[in-house]
Amino acid sequence: MNVGTGDKGITSLLSGERVPKSHIRVEACGELDELASVLGALAASLSGGQEKARGEISWIQEQLLHIGAWVAGGSRAPSSEPVRVLEKAAEALERDLPPLQGFLLPGGHPSAAWAHVARTVCRRAERRAAAVPSPEVLPFLNRLSTYLYALARSCNRLNGVPETQWKP
Amino acid sequence: MEAVGSPQPVKRPARVLRCAPLSESAFEIELERPRDFSFEAGQSIRVYIGGEGRDYSLAGSPSAQTLLLVVRRIAGGAVSPALADAAPGSLFDFTGPHGVFTFRPSPRPVVLVATGIGIAPFLSMVRRGTVGFTLLHGARSADELFHRRELETAAARYVPCLSRQASPGCFDGRVTAWARDHLPPGTFDFYLCGGRQMARDMILLVDERFPGSRVYTEIFF
Repeated sequence: MNVGTGDKGITSLLSGERVPKSHIRVEACGELDELASVLGALAASLSGGQEKARGEISWIQEQLLHIGAWVAGGSRAPSSEPVRVLEKAAEALERDLPPLQGFLLPGGHPSAAWAHVARTVCRRAERRAAAVPSPEVLPFLNRLSTYLYALARSCNRLNGVPETQWKP
Repeated sequence: MEAVGSPQPVKRPARVLRCAPLSESAFEIELERPRDFSFEAGQSIRVYIGGEGRDYSLAGSPSAQTLLLVVRRIAGGAVSPALADAAPGSLFDFTGPHGVFTFRPSPRPVVLVATGIGIAPFLSMVRRGTVGFTLLHGARSADELFHRRELETAAARYVPCLSRQASPGCFDGRVTAWARDHLPPGTFDFYLCGGRQMARDMILLVDERFPGSRVYTEIFF
């Protein structure tokens, strides 16, 4: 809840602490917020017929709010159930994809490009979260990167855009 | 993949047991408590009238048989006038419990700061057994210091603060003025519940005068 007390660069954590906005927990929350926003852009770029993915992304955004509350010093640790749900979602996408032959260059269909952006923002959020003593959130972020990589490939496949292999 | 998606909060009906005035504009309403409903002191429920929902902190003990709300009637409001006029037996939908404004024991001294009906979550905490705190109880006039006697008994220090009408035994001014002028330097756990301006002024005061303190805030609109 914004009550207009942050003009001097100090904010409140859910733990009640007043901390500078450069605090690692605030930084991690900011990354999670950015990730949720990029996921919104990804959802908006999905094609018709990807309602399932759209629903999954909405669910992920909700999970990120739970994770953010914990990172911000909240009192309720996230459960491990969402990690399992995300694993299954990634596996379901991967089942419909050809095996990887090597590194892929991020891009292709706009939705695939957004999925790759989301994946890299997710990795950054994971790195920031790793600096915070809240290890309970790390498995979800790690699985989310896997899911987003599979979703990027799925987006290209559904839209008939060939994947671009890296040729070292 | 199994279905994903967070379930929408389940609306459940609650029957009105009684409704009683606390002052000219505030009242207490007691609702039947669903058997499977539990909450922590400091949490709220969202009451729905005609599709509109409003959040109200629960003022009763978490172990009480009924649910108790302290509500201010807002003229033209979507929910509070209907609650104020509710006859016993009326049914309202609600969701909850919501919120994280719950008491966290700590080694630091506790300062509760309430204005108006912002006293509701602190009543719940007191009725759950919380004692030994300083309570800055703000109101416009003495008749709006709801449940004063009960709170005085539980508090280590009870400070009634009246912003518009002087009264014997009460500080003549806002809770923030009392905190600024009388609270000794130190590190505290502040719990703030009331209007946005009070919360803002208190937080700025904490940053300036009580660094290292913790601040938990619940805003009432």
